[in-house]
Amino acid sequence: MAVIGVALVVCGPLGLILYQSFLSEAFFSPTAHLSVEAYRYVLADAGFHSAFGTSLLVSSGMTIISVPLGSLLAFLLARTDLPGKKWLEPWLLVPIFLSPVVLAFGYVVAVGPVGFFSLWIKALIGRVPWNLYSLFGLILIAGLTHVPHAFLYVSSALRSLDPAVEEAARVAGAGVWRIAVTVSLPLVLPSILFSASLIFLLGFELFGLPLVLGDPAGLLVLTTYLYKLTNLLGVPSYHLMAVVALSIVALTFPLVYLQRRMLRTAGRFAVIGGKGQAFRPLPLGAFRWPAVFLLVLWLLVTVVVPLVGVALRSLVSSWGEGVKLTEVLTLDHFRELWGYPNLVRGIVNTLVIGAIGGALSVAFYAIVGLAAHRWQSSWVSFLDYLVMLPRALPGLIVGLAFLWVFLFFKPIAPLRTTLFSLWIAYTVVWLAYGLRLISASLLQVKPELEEAARVTGARQSLIYRDVTLPLIRFGLMGSWLLIFMMFVREYSTGVYLLGPGTEVIGSLIVSLWGTGALDLISALSVIEVALVGLILFIALRLGVSLHA
Amino acid sequence: MKIKQKVLLAFVFGFFCFPSLRADAAESSGTASAAQKEGKLVIYSSTDSASVEPLLQDFKSLYPFLQVEYNDLNTTEIYNRFVAETAAGSGTADFLWSSAMDLQLQLANKGNALTYASPEISALPKWAVWQNQAYGTTFEPVSIAYNKRLLPADAVPQSHADMIRLPKEKPDLFKEKIATFDPEKSGVGFLMMTQDAKVFPQFWDLAKTLGSSGAKVYTSTGAMLEKVGSGEHYLAYNIIGSYVLLRQKKDAALGLVLPKDYTLVFSRVAFISKAARHPNAAKLFLDYILSKRGQTVMSEKSLVYSLRSDIPGNITAAGLTKELGKALKPIDVNTEILAGLEQNKRLEFMKQWQAALKR
Repeated sequence: MAVIGVALVVCGPLGLILYQSFLSEAFFSPTAHLSVEAYRYVLADAGFHSAFGTSLLVSSGMTIISVPLGSLLAFLLARTDLPGKKWLEPWLLVPIFLSPVVLAFGYVVAVGPVGFFSLWIKALIGRVPWNLYSLFGLILIAGLTHVPHAFLYVSSALRSLDPAVEEAARVAGAGVWRIAVTVSLPLVLPSILFSASLIFLLGFELFGLPLVLGDPAGLLVLTTYLYKLTNLLGVPSYHLMAVVALSIVALTFPLVYLQRRMLRTAGRFAVIGGKGQAFRPLPLGAFRWPAVFLLVLWLLVTVVVPLVGVALRSLVSSWGEGVKLTEVLTLDHFRELWGYPNLVRGIVNTLVIGAIGGALSVAFYAIVGLAAHRWQSSWVSFLDYLVMLPRALPGLIVGLAFLWVFLFFKPIAPLRTTLFSLWIAYTVVWLAYGLRLISASLLQVKPELEEAARVTGARQSLIYRDVTLPLIRFGLMGSWLLIFMMFVREYSTGVYLLGPGTEVIGSLIVSLWGTGALDLISALSVIEVALVGLILFIALRLGVSLHA
Repeated sequence: MKIKQKVLLAFVFGFFCFPSLRADAAESSGTASAAQKEGKLVIYSSTDSASVEPLLQDFKSLYPFLQVEYNDLNTTEIYNRFVAETAAGSGTADFLWSSAMDLQLQLANKGNALTYASPEISALPKWAVWQNQAYGTTFEPVSIAYNKRLLPADAVPQSHADMIRLPKEKPDLFKEKIATFDPEKSGVGFLMMTQDAKVFPQFWDLAKTLGSSGAKVYTSTGAMLEKVGSGEHYLAYNIIGSYVLLRQKKDAALGLVLPKDYTLVFSRVAFISKAARHPNAAKLFLDYILSKRGQTVMSEKSLVYSLRSDIPGNITAAGLTKELGKALKPIDVNTEILAGLEQNKRLEFMKQWQAALKR
C-alpha cells in the first residue's frame, strides 16, 4: 500500500515531465503533437553538452570534497573525545538551512573581488590571491557547504555502531586514525555511499550557487542552462526543459545501481548492536589539536565567512571599495523589513511548514519505512530507485510539474492554493532523504524484539505501535529536526504553489531579489538564522538528538 | 443674481461643457457597483510588493469594498502560471501587470486579453495602447547606473557612443567593471538590446566593446545595482531608471545617466484577462493606475516614472520630455515587438551576441 502511494506521488509529476518531453509544445496546448524534436534539439546543442560536462565536474568535485571531509568530521564528533564538540555541532548545520543564494551572496560580500575580507587582504599584500568567480571556487564552496549532508548520515550510522568493535581494535594497539579508516568508516559504508550518491545528485541540482558565482562570467551548468531555456525562444520551452530534466533523472539509475552493487558486498560487515553498551569516546591523543584545527578551519570557511558577510550586509547601507564600514552602519534595513508586507505571515508559514509539516512528513516516511523494513521483496529495490527520482529533478522544473499536477489532476485541484499542496510537494521531494533517516533508526531495532512480540500473539500493527515506534522515537525526533531545516530552506519546489496567504521566507527573498533589495534579504536571513538557531538550540536542550 | 441661480447656471454650464466627464462618471460608477458585487481582485504582477504598496493603499481607499489579492511574481512565473491556469480552466488572475512587454503582448495577441476602452485612453500616448487590450502604464527610461565614488567624472558615459569610446580609451579602468543584462536569460534584457540594435546603428560595436572589456552579464537588476554600489562593477548598462531611483534612496554613491543621444523608454504592460472572474474590479484597477491620481502616486510614492503627460514632476513623462525631448525612444506597445519572439531571428541575435562577447 505504502509503496503504491509513494509510486503514485512520485510518478505523477515525473510521468507528466516524461510525456511533456515527447511533445512539440506545452502539453496543455491544443496544437501540441507527439514529437522527438525536443530531444533532437537538446542533444545536438553544444551548450547542453558543455553545461552537462560542467555539472558533472562540479558534482564529482563536490562529492569528492564533501564526503571524505563529512565522514571524517562525523567520526571526530561521534566517536572521539574532541574538545568542545557539543558546542560546535549546531553550527555545522547552518549551511543546510540557509538559502544557497543567500549563502553565495554572503561569500560575495566577504570574499568577492571587493569583499571586506578581500579588501583587507589586498591592503595587506597588495592583491587578492583568490578568484571567487571561477569553476574551482564554485566546486570548493559547493563541496564545503555540502559537508553537513555527508556528516549527518555518517554520524548517525556511526552512533549506532557497536563500540565494542572499535574498543577491540584499540586494545589491539591501533591508533585513532587507523581505527577510523580501517574499522569505523568501512562499517558505515552504506551510509557513506548513500550520502555520496545523494550529494552527487544535489550537485546536478545546484542553482543558487552557480547563478550567483558562475553565471556572470558565463559559466553554465545544467540548471542555469535550463534557466536559459525559459527565455531562449522567447516563451518558456517546456518540452526542451523536460528533456534536460530527464537527462538528470537518467543519471539516478546507474547511481542507485552502483550504490546497491557496492552495498551488496558491504552488507556482510554490518555489525549493528541494539544492546546499550557503555560508550567511551576514543582518545584522540596527539591528533586532538590538529583535529580541532581542521574542524574550526572548516567552520570558518563554510559558516563564519558567508554568515559574517550576510550579517554585515544587513547592518550597512553600502559596502565595498572605498567605503568605510564604520560610517555606514545602520539598523534601517531591519526597520524597513519590519514594515514589509506579509513579513510576519511569511515567517510564521515557514515555521509552520517546517515544524508541523515536517512532523507530518516524518510520520509519512515512518509508515513507508516500516512497510519496506524487513520486507524481502524486489519491490523494496524498486523503492530504492523510486525515492531518488524526485530529488533528481531540478527545482525550476519540479515547481512547474507540481503546478501542473495540482491544476490538471482535478481531485486535488482545490488544495492548490493552500499550504497543504506545498507540504505534499516538499514531502515528495525530500522522500529519499527522510526515508533514509527513518530506515537508519529502524536498522537499530533488532528483529528479536519484534519477534518476541509476535510470539505472544500481537498483530503486526500492534507490534509497530507498541514495540518498533517507541524504540525509534528518538530517531524520529532527530529526523523531524533535520526535515524541519530542509523545509525551512526549500523554496523552488513550491514556487508555483505559493500565493498571498501562503508566502514563505523563500518567496519573500525571491520577491526582494527582484528589486535588488539585498540589504533586506540579508536582514531577513539574519532573522531566519536566529530563529532556526533558537529552535535548534531549544530542541537540542529538550533532548532531541540529531542522531538516531 | 441670486446664489441659487448662480449655482444652477454653473451646474448647467458644467453639464454641457464636460459631457465626457459625465459619461465616464456614469460608466465607472456602473463598473464600480458591478465590481462591488465581485468583491475581489486578483493581480499577477512583477512590480514588487514594497514599491506597489502606496498604489494599492490608495486604490483600496477609493474602493474599500474590494479585497485585493496581489501576487508578486517574476515575469516568467506570471507567464507560466497564467498559461497553465487558463488551459486548466481553473481560474486565474483578473489583471496581469508585467515588465515582460513581449510576453504580455504575446498573451494578448493570442486572444487572452479582454477588450476594454479605458476612459483614460485620451490622456495616454497612442503608442501605449494596443487594440484597447494591452496598455502601457509607465514611462521608464532605460539608463546607465554608475558608481560616483569610483568612476571619475570624465569617464562617465553620457551617450551610447561614449559606451563604445570610453572603454576603448581607458581599457584598464573598465576591465571587468561593466555589468549588463544577459539577453539569453532575461527577456527584458533581450528586448532592450534588440531595440538598441534597431535604434543605434553601432550597437554591435557596443556589444563588441562590452566583450573586449570583459563585461559581466546578469539576470537581475538587483544583483547589478548591488555590485555597482560595492564597486565590483563601476557601471551597469541598460538598467530601468525606476530601480536606480529606488536604490539611490539608500546608496548615495549610485549615479544615473540618461543617455543624451537616445534613451529607450520601457513600459510595464497591463491587460485584463478574458477569463477574469472579476472583470469589473480589474477595469477599476486599470482605470486607477492610468488615472491622474494613480499616476501621481506612482511617480511620487512608488518612484516609478509615470506615463501620462499631464503629471508634473521629475519622475514623469513630462519631466523626461523636458530633459531629453526627441531623444526619448519609447518601445511601442504593439505586436511589432513580437518579432523578437520569432525563433530563427532570436537565435540569430543570440549567436551574434555570443560572438561579440567572445565567450
